[in-house]
Amino acid sequence: MGPLLKLINIEKSFPGVRALKDVSFDIHAGEVHVILGQNGAGKSSLIKVLCGAYIADGGSIELEGRTIAIRGPADANAVGIAVIFQEFSLAPYLDIAQNIFLGRERAFTKAGLIDKKAMHAAAKRILEELGLDYDTRTFAGDLGVAQQQMVEIAKALSQDARILVMDEPTAAISDRESERLFEVIERLKKRGVAIVYISHRMKEIMALGDRITIMRDGALVATFLRDEASAEEMVRLMIGRSLDGIPHRTPATPGKAILTIENIKTGKLSDISLEVRAGEVVGLAGLVGSGRTEVVRAIFGADPVASGSIRLNGSALKATPDIASRAGIALLPEDRKREGLALPLPVRENATAASLWRLFKGGWFKPGAAEKVCADLISRLNIATPSSRQIVRNLSGGNQQKVVLGKWLAAGSQLFMLDEPTRGVDVGAKFEIYQLIDNLVKDGAAVLVISSELPELIHLCDRAYVMRDYRIVGHLDRDNLSEKAILDLAVQQ
Amino acid sequence: MTDSTAPTVKAPAETFRLGRLLKNLPGVSYILIAMIVVFAVGNPRFLSGVNLSNVSLQAALLMMLALPMTLIILTEGLDLSFGALLGLCGVVIASLLLAGWSVIGAIAAAMVVGLVVGLINGFLISYLSLPAFVVTLGTMGLCEGAALIITNGDPIGGFSPSIQAFYQSSVFGLPTPVLAAVAFYALLWMVLYRTRFGNYIFAIGGNKDALRLAGIRADFIHLAVYALCSVTVALSAVLMIGRMNTAHPTVAVGMEFEAIAAVILGGTSFEKGQGWLFGTVLGVLAITILRNGLNLLHVEPSLQVVCVGVLLIVALLIDGGRKRSVQGAA
Repeated sequence: MGPLLKLINIEKSFPGVRALKDVSFDIHAGEVHVILGQNGAGKSSLIKVLCGAYIADGGSIELEGRTIAIRGPADANAVGIAVIFQEFSLAPYLDIAQNIFLGRERAFTKAGLIDKKAMHAAAKRILEELGLDYDTRTFAGDLGVAQQQMVEIAKALSQDARILVMDEPTAAISDRESERLFEVIERLKKRGVAIVYISHRMKEIMALGDRITIMRDGALVATFLRDEASAEEMVRLMIGRSLDGIPHRTPATPGKAILTIENIKTGKLSDISLEVRAGEVVGLAGLVGSGRTEVVRAIFGADPVASGSIRLNGSALKATPDIASRAGIALLPEDRKREGLALPLPVRENATAASLWRLFKGGWFKPGAAEKVCADLISRLNIATPSSRQIVRNLSGGNQQKVVLGKWLAAGSQLFMLDEPTRGVDVGAKFEIYQLIDNLVKDGAAVLVISSELPELIHLCDRAYVMRDYRIVGHLDRDNLSEKAILDLAVQQ
Repeated sequence: MTDSTAPTVKAPAETFRLGRLLKNLPGVSYILIAMIVVFAVGNPRFLSGVNLSNVSLQAALLMMLALPMTLIILTEGLDLSFGALLGLCGVVIASLLLAGWSVIGAIAAAMVVGLVVGLINGFLISYLSLPAFVVTLGTMGLCEGAALIITNGDPIGGFSPSIQAFYQSSVFGLPTPVLAAVAFYALLWMVLYRTRFGNYIFAIGGNKDALRLAGIRADFIHLAVYALCSVTVALSAVLMIGRMNTAHPTVAVGMEFEAIAAVILGGTSFEKGQGWLFGTVLGVLAITILRNGLNLLHVEPSLQVVCVGVLLIVALLIDGGRKRSVQGAA
């Protein structure tokens, strides 16, 4: 039997980016086909082409051998493609039954009024097919994430979906709930539903996937049958990039301990202990979702810490973002557009955001002083902007990132926590950021850096901690820092 | 696995009716009971038949505004033009009656006015995604200005007495306006909880994209909510001019705030389509009873306004406090 759905040479471009490059992909009935890839690898674009949110620029789509056109969500629904996004499409104050049949109440409507009994009975039937015993009168908003996901699946099935796309379905649910999800997936497979499963959790990928396709930079890298490749090999293909031609950083001589944390526990993290000394760059490695971002957020006081100690320069720190920033901690967040910058504001307002309290001496804002601080940063960091009045939204990714860094330089920070500092930044700006990091440690600052790009991490760091499942599972010093060593620790065997 | 996760979802099943009711019972219901007790003790006339009929008549008009306002707030919206529109429609009906139109014709004309204003609001808010607060602030000005232009700022009186006769009539001993409000509540309840349109109102507030993805013309539904609600406001103008037997151009401006207060008192939230139509009835009763009781206790009108404000804040504090304690326990 041929594939149920086939994508052939799909192309999709946006101004400046080729999001999908010649992607060919197929899926059989009753199969779980996993797509593995880092953020920005093109997984989301592919899904959006499938569900009609994007229209492909080139290539064709075949359903059971016949070419079809997907020009909008309605077309995708009509051929039985349903997508369960990470952001659920449930209305919180409608109940389970109302959500399952949202938009299709007509089947239960008599003389303009909805026959609630019939609707709840039908919803109950669908949930039972999935082995779920939910009260269909419960508001969707009162359900946990895993239950909402089940309702989404029920919703898709009630529309006779033959192809179900799940975007990182286990990202926000517990292990036990995940097992339940896997049971449901097994049931769906038996019913002949084709499942496209997006994830980067190697364990479940190896357990669930009949076939595994790896994407990188918008292109399809390889497709394996489950037993054809090891987890390490797949992760290497997923990440596989090299930084040929960049000179290695000269290792610095570390000074006294700036940050010492012991046995930190938060809602998610457990037993996190690490140390960062003046004049060194320490890496925090691990796959996406291993808890790296949570660690820096906890240190910065952005998330509450349940137990354990954080010491800065030897004295205990009970951080809130306000206290942390004044104590000299800088956080360069992963999502700079949402958490690092005020996009509609000019460079000056952004660059002085963390040091404003210094510019308000005597209670009055000193525009001249702010201007001076900003001009100084622009020349020191080589920020390409026409003036300090330029709106930050109009700068390139690399220059935006420099503004975020500059914000903390102006605040006189001594510990820089950089979460994916080169994401969405072009190659030239990348090297400049490496140079800036180098200068920071030469001036005696301590740097803690998170990166999903292993070559970058290896290039930058004097040593690194490796995380998996919200724990630190290993420490690698400079001599032992290699892609293989990191992956061995980061990927569950 | 089936057994291990089932109980957590099954629990709400058994306690469903009572549990959800108690959980959703807004703080205002307790305040309402307390107020009735205090006013009944404070002035025996409070519970007299005459006074109760008075209270229900006063509540009727506010109900006519607060119920559609509930639907609009459920869509995460707001309509500040209700009061001004009510005044404008009263003026339209009165002046057309004076010009010799039939009662039915004059009311139909007012409904057209309501429809147009509602369509403007709905189009700008839904299709152009403009903020409801600003849009309806604008149409509020339009309506108020139009009413002033039509009347030169003077009240219109001396039109057909049939409107007042309707307002003062009663069926089976119950005032017609009160029956109209009750019937309106029943109608909106059916629409909200028993029709597709009602489902979509909750969905627009909760997750408009979900509705869009379900293949429904969500923007059109959103527009229709504003349009239909404004039409019902236009109809309510009959009650307003019937009560005073004159149409005053700006007398109703500001009533929208009482309507919004009633909706919020009733436990409807500005977010995610969370709300309860009957809660609005409680909110309307709370505001009306507070005013009436304070009147009977000879509290100055200006102080009454203060009391309504305090009522709103206290009710919100009760609801907010309970919500926090629920979240803390979870």
